[in-house]
Amino acid sequence: MGCGSSFPDRDSGQLGRPNSENGGGQDAKNLRVKLVLLGDSGVGKSCIVLRFVRGQFDPTSKVTVGASFLSQTIALQDSTTVKFEIWDTAGQERYAALAPLYYRGAAVAVIVYDITSPESFSKAQYWVKELQKHGSPDIVMALVGNKADLHEKREVAVQDGMDYSEKNGMFFIETSAKTADNINELFEDMVNYATSRLPYDVLAV
Amino acid sequence: MASSQSEDREIDITTSIEPGSDITWVRTGSEQELDLPSSPSSSGYAGEGGGSTSATTGSLIEIEHEEEIEQEQMRIQNQIDEISISDSNSSWIPGKRHQDEDDGSISWRKRKKHFFILSNSGKPIYSRYGDEHKLAGFSATLQAIVSFVENGGDSVKLVRAGKHQVVFLVKGPIYLVCISSTEEPYESLRGQLELIYGQMLVILTKSINKCFERNSKFDMTPLLGGTDTVFSSLIHSFSWNPATFLHAYTCLPLSYATRQAAGAVLQDTADSGVLFATLMCRHKVISLVGAQKASLHPDDMLLLANFVMSSESFRTSESFSPVCLPRYNPSAFLYAYIHYFDDDTYLMLLTTNSDAFYHLKDCRLRIEMVLLKSNVLSEVQRSLLDGGMHVEDLPPIPQSGTSHLGQHTLPSDSPERFKEVNHVIGGPAGLWHFIYRSIYLDQYVSSEFSSSISTRQQQKRLCRAYQKLFTSMHDKGIGPHKTQFRRDENYVLLCWVTQDFELYAAFDPLADKALAIKTCNRVCQWIKDVENEIFLLGASPFSW
Repeated sequence: MGCGSSFPDRDSGQLGRPNSENGGGQDAKNLRVKLVLLGDSGVGKSCIVLRFVRGQFDPTSKVTVGASFLSQTIALQDSTTVKFEIWDTAGQERYAALAPLYYRGAAVAVIVYDITSPESFSKAQYWVKELQKHGSPDIVMALVGNKADLHEKREVAVQDGMDYSEKNGMFFIETSAKTADNINELFEDMVNYATSRLPYDVLAV
Repeated sequence: MASSQSEDREIDITTSIEPGSDITWVRTGSEQELDLPSSPSSSGYAGEGGGSTSATTGSLIEIEHEEEIEQEQMRIQNQIDEISISDSNSSWIPGKRHQDEDDGSISWRKRKKHFFILSNSGKPIYSRYGDEHKLAGFSATLQAIVSFVENGGDSVKLVRAGKHQVVFLVKGPIYLVCISSTEEPYESLRGQLELIYGQMLVILTKSINKCFERNSKFDMTPLLGGTDTVFSSLIHSFSWNPATFLHAYTCLPLSYATRQAAGAVLQDTADSGVLFATLMCRHKVISLVGAQKASLHPDDMLLLANFVMSSESFRTSESFSPVCLPRYNPSAFLYAYIHYFDDDTYLMLLTTNSDAFYHLKDCRLRIEMVLLKSNVLSEVQRSLLDGGMHVEDLPPIPQSGTSHLGQHTLPSDSPERFKEVNHVIGGPAGLWHFIYRSIYLDQYVSSEFSSSISTRQQQKRLCRAYQKLFTSMHDKGIGPHKTQFRRDENYVLLCWVTQDFELYAAFDPLADKALAIKTCNRVCQWIKDVENEIFLLGASPFSW
């Protein structure tokens, strides 16, 4: 099915960014990750978040308005706890201009497309460019091809997603919020990926 | 309307009006026939039955004259359809239905009430029924009617064609049109179009006009993506929510102390830089406060509550979304923090500061703590169970009690209570229902529906009857009325307007007039006795 993930080779050199409101490291084992989801409407951003945060999947589509805020704390294998603070943004066109409101403070941007929709893949590329232009230079980006369970309707090849993410220094994974495939992996791998790229104190609570 | 006929003429397609049809509600300005080139393919209202398409009027909008019996059958069938879809308020399904229809479908043409939004270049923006893109031809026709009249230096407000009224509202580059055979007064339909326009502004603000200045052929539909439920739920509320024509809001009945507790904690929030803080239960206000000098119009409240309640995603988690309050400032977005405490109760904190999310989140945590500690949330749930004012509980002699809204009856879950309601149909003197609107407070209270008005169809009919009554009481042409008593086969309707309040009451059609008037006095006294519980008193931020 090809739900693989790939880590592009990037030296995680001096990617320091001015320590913002995340400062105050009491316990370096506790991390806080501000994460924003972006992407076309209907690609399943809310479904990914709700699967991750509540373990639920609701097939009836509920259009997100503005942005929803959710948080979830997980424990990694090395007993590090990570608190995710997630902005699940609306994919509707009218909210595009307001996206900076939500991605401004984010350490991680997850850009989602639907593997059955080439339009959503180009929309994802739009978001990548937008973040490269206007986002924080240190923001860690992930490209996520969702609805991987619908492989018979696939219109975006795994290789296309992989190639594009590699070219842009992004983490890449295909997921299915419906079957829960790769959902936890996405968030866990994102932490590893982000910590390898960002100075640890940026993420420490 | 007659006075303004020079600028805005009302076009009356006289040939289509059947004798005896009720047309007294809108007086026609001129009896002009609109002679437009006929284009049956795109009119959508061209006769369907064959042979009924009379070409004598030459009008674009042509309604066939069906046999009376056929109409009656259709009316009953429609009612059955509606009832079978949903026979209670809770089972109404939001969102667009009949998406597959277009102006070529017979079912589409038979819908009793259409709403359209289109641009001044004729591009469809929204249609209540059917797919907007398939209705491009029909939209162009509507646009042609507007521009045809505009070219003559006039503006079209109403086209009457048999049982149908076509109401137009022009808002800059946006045209709104209602085509209705529901016999609602013109003023009501126009008010509904105003609200639909307001709802659009809530989502997009007036800055949308700039898109049309840059490109007159601008396609607005993508910008409204995913908002079908917002509009369909607003349109649905036209048939049950009195706030849509009263321009007032209503409160959830609560003890004075409970409402005070909620108000106090909201006030703290407002003092910390929040523009409006409102705690709501469904469409009813629990408490609200505004920052100094900020005032919130009841229509803005209605549109905002509709926007929040019809967007399912707000129930999933706390949200932060741009919204525009058209009466407050139609050109700019505010930012709304929205959080549901339970299935019914939600908090809306509005600010001008787009960076305020984390502050508002903290405010919400504090508010939640106070609400839980002072039992406000549990009181709200109890009030929901008890309901509002029941006409059966109208006290015989004015009195003020400590019980919930002066109810002397057993708790609502007791079987005794149901027994009583069943054999006493409605309240004393055949009182079925009432609405009391306080002019000073901009608030109204509506009684619960008694068993005589238990189906949705009956409630909708009563709501329309009130609407008609409201319109006639506020008709500037006829002059302000003080009282109105009218009897038809469905009800006796009584309306009483003073400087301080308006009372609308529905009685059994056989009710005695003198007794009905006496009962209305008792209702007013009752409301005075319980006003602490049913209204939000003091520090009203409503003024405009």
